[in-house]
Amino acid sequence: MNTEQSKPLIELSHVTKSFPSMSGNFQALKNVSLKIGKGQLVAVTGKSGSGKSTLLNIIAGIDKPTEGQVAINGIRVDKLSESELATWRGKNIGVVFQFFQLLPTLTVIENIMLPMDFCNRYPKNERRERALVLLEQVNIREQADKLPSALSGGQQQRAAIARALANDPPVIIADEPTGNLDSQTSAAIFELFAALARSEKTVIVVTHEKDFADYFKDVIVIADGAIVNEFVPA
Amino acid sequence: MKTRYIKVIRDLTSDYPKNIMLIVAIALGVFGIGAILGGYSVIKREMTDNYLSTVPASATLELEKEISKSLVDSVKKIPGIQEAERHATVTARMRVGDKWFPLLLFVIDDFKEKRTNKPHHLSGEAEPSPGSMLVERTALIVMNAKEGDDLLIKTPHGEPQKVKLSGTVHDPGLAPAWQEQAGYGYITIETLHALGETQGFDQLRILVSEQPYSRDHIMETAQSVARQVERAGYPVHEIQVPSPGKHPHQSQMNAVMSIFIVFSFMILVLGSILVATSMATLMVKQVRQIGVMKTIGANSIQVMGLYALMMVLLCVLALMVAIPLSRLAAAGFYRQLAVLLNLEINDDSIPYWVAIIQVGSGLIIPLVAAALPVIRGSRISVKNALDNYGVTQTYSANTSWIVRFSQLNFFSETFRLAIRNVFRQRSRLVMTLGLLAAGGAMFMTALNVSEAWDSNLKRIYVQRLYDLEVHLNNFTTTDSIVKKIDAVQGVRAVEAWSSSPTSVSKDNALNITSTYPDKGHASFTMLALPVPTQLLNPTITEGKWLHDPTAHHVVLNQSARSSLKIGDEVSLAIEEKVSTWKVIGFVEDVGSHSTAYVSLQTFSAITNTTGQAELLRISYRDRSKENAMRKNLEIEKLLEKENMAVSKTIPVWLLRNAIAAHMKVLVNSLLAMALLMALVGTIGLVSTVSMSVLERTREIGVMRAIGATPAKIRSLIVWEGLLIGTISIFVAFVLSVVLSTYMGRVIGDMAFRTPLSLTISAFALMTWIVTIFAVAYVAVLLPARRANRISTREALAYE
Repeated sequence: MNTEQSKPLIELSHVTKSFPSMSGNFQALKNVSLKIGKGQLVAVTGKSGSGKSTLLNIIAGIDKPTEGQVAINGIRVDKLSESELATWRGKNIGVVFQFFQLLPTLTVIENIMLPMDFCNRYPKNERRERALVLLEQVNIREQADKLPSALSGGQQQRAAIARALANDPPVIIADEPTGNLDSQTSAAIFELFAALARSEKTVIVVTHEKDFADYFKDVIVIADGAIVNEFVPA
Repeated sequence: MKTRYIKVIRDLTSDYPKNIMLIVAIALGVFGIGAILGGYSVIKREMTDNYLSTVPASATLELEKEISKSLVDSVKKIPGIQEAERHATVTARMRVGDKWFPLLLFVIDDFKEKRTNKPHHLSGEAEPSPGSMLVERTALIVMNAKEGDDLLIKTPHGEPQKVKLSGTVHDPGLAPAWQEQAGYGYITIETLHALGETQGFDQLRILVSEQPYSRDHIMETAQSVARQVERAGYPVHEIQVPSPGKHPHQSQMNAVMSIFIVFSFMILVLGSILVATSMATLMVKQVRQIGVMKTIGANSIQVMGLYALMMVLLCVLALMVAIPLSRLAAAGFYRQLAVLLNLEINDDSIPYWVAIIQVGSGLIIPLVAAALPVIRGSRISVKNALDNYGVTQTYSANTSWIVRFSQLNFFSETFRLAIRNVFRQRSRLVMTLGLLAAGGAMFMTALNVSEAWDSNLKRIYVQRLYDLEVHLNNFTTTDSIVKKIDAVQGVRAVEAWSSSPTSVSKDNALNITSTYPDKGHASFTMLALPVPTQLLNPTITEGKWLHDPTAHHVVLNQSARSSLKIGDEVSLAIEEKVSTWKVIGFVEDVGSHSTAYVSLQTFSAITNTTGQAELLRISYRDRSKENAMRKNLEIEKLLEKENMAVSKTIPVWLLRNAIAAHMKVLVNSLLAMALLMALVGTIGLVSTVSMSVLERTREIGVMRAIGATPAKIRSLIVWEGLLIGTISIFVAFVLSVVLSTYMGRVIGDMAFRTPLSLTISAFALMTWIVTIFAVAYVAVLLPARRANRISTREALAYE
């Protein structure tokens, strides 16, 4: 998967991100360069405020670097406009949040069909079937027509993962996806991510959970905005 | 259906109490516009159709001699004249119960072949047989009679005689008789003679064949006809050219309607501000959802589309409710106005453009109002949306004065926090205050105007220090009768006056007035009074009151003022004689038509009537209506006993009632508008205050986590509501003063021919204060209770 020969799916070159603050510019990321290949399951760890989420936001196109380049699947994400980013993100990045962030007035299956609607992916009459397949994949097919509030935390996170997969993006990004779940449920979620990586999805997970280190061959440790471990690039 | 549309529908239905409020707010505005415009469009069309169906004469020439048939025939042959006919109008009196009321008798030459000002026959005889008369349908109420009854009538020179009411007609060119507190009768010349009058037809009515709606052309033609008639030996003393094709009440109706239309649009604007406020809150509340949607592929346009669709759905629902209801209300409204204007609604279809305006304004105004928050909310970056916690985290430096103010020692901690919270979201505060202030201002304006209306009605008594006006048939020596009336117990004063129709005279031209056939609307009168007088207390607005009994001084009321200035000389025609007068003052005169006040002594010298008068004004010590009615009877008996030839008597209470009746519907409609305004305003308060609490659920959780008791939180939220309410009351009050002045001017000019004095209704202010405080308290209490009921953990997790 992450062979020397294969072209990296995600490539960050000398990325710096600064935020203006009362006491001058604060550098959240300092000259970060990294490469992640197709099918890699990568953990990003570090202390609170170290720059993990900023790194994820930059990869997902949620935030733009102050300096440096970000290329995903050969596309210079840092050059896209907000509108282009929205469409690109919908098709290429699946995002999983810590608090699930399912839209409360839509049923589980409708939450999963929504990205297909926004990105106009898959014919209309196939969307429901695809959403059911994804729910099957995350083991909550029977919850399809319930509102998110009727689901447990774990089930909601599974639904959120199914939603992230809706448009079949090559990259899944999860920001502390188990931060709100018990250890048993967390294990199931990590297992799900591992399965996705095995099916050639690139999965990047921000996590504090040391108990699940076994799932990850690749770990990026960030401290004060810089990668401090010996991360093996793609 | 697309999934995104399902979200829109679910969002609407999941928060239905708030959305119903928004629908009601928009619907009220659309309803108001539809009801008023619908009513107006029908009335405007029917007013014109009704009036034109009578074929109103282009001009009426008042001649000094009886008009012969041959003269009419020769006038018909004049180029530019389509029709001509002779006519007479006599002011008589009718006996209803134990009182005499004015009766306008229209003497018609040929009922079968009537050419101008044709009343529509309704029932009974089409042509009154000798000794009987047709009556205008609205006069039966004043006459307290029905078709077939006899009515005791007294013409200026005749003895009281019974006349049979043999049929009814509808004359849309006349105001309803009950409004004028007078009767309208249609008789033949033979009946007039039988009633003791010797006069013949003295009015020549003409209809021009070209440019029928050009007043200039009509005046020119009428002047030319008058010159030819004079050459034939018939002196013309007045030409009346009312506004062509325009019902006597057309301009008033337009003015009234424009006020109502403005009010209706204001209600819609208020409703739209409420919608905008709600949308702004919704965008803040759903900011994370927006972030999520953008994360999963939605662009700003798609997000904007969702909320715009939500707005459109709210508006469509409001329209679906408001349009059918407004059509019902419009029907009620035009029926009321038709009664008020003596119109017959022949076609009750409301034009399609009313619905188009309703749909257009009901969609466009709320969408425009909500555009800014929707666009701003939709364009938020994903990062900002996901980082957002619902309430602004920063506290701007330019709010430091609020911080300093809130630090005053005598404020409690809770009150200090409430002050700062109120000013946290400036744009929302401005919108909420705008909504409440506008609602309150209009509510108070309507009540202020209504109270000013009442006090102006009372001014009729303050300016008119007499209680009964007696018009005599001719100039009569009145010394003896004045003494006798003065001796009647309870009489405070009696004066002999004179009056005459007048017009401003221009070089080489006959006198042209704008008077309508009822001789009241658009008339101009010269009133000659003893100087000084005890029976008039005019409000002098400029210059001075008459002080020299022998001078050619004139004081003009507001309707007669035109562009004249103090010191100007004005030529006025009275009974064919043109005299020049120096303008020494202007007065404000409640409820009078155009009037020129002059000294009786000077007037008598000009008209060769020295020692004579044709008007008696009498005042009583007790001015109550009951006493006035009793005393009026006593005076009438005395006049009869003394064989005084009385043409009409006008008690001041009757005048007051006539003016009040003219505008009753207007004032009542204004009050109804005030209630609608208050409703939209209070819906706005309930909505915005409760939403402001709702979106701070998380913050309330934090406060509880650090030790705030439920009572403390409730008191904080209640103080916030009351503070917003208090600020809005101040703004509303200032606005209401400005609006009341403007509205008072428009309505006063229409009804009293003088602006209403600015009146601040304490009742309105107190009602608004109590309403706002009560609504603010209730509006915050429910969400405050809800906020207190959620556990601290839930509140902290609230997204």
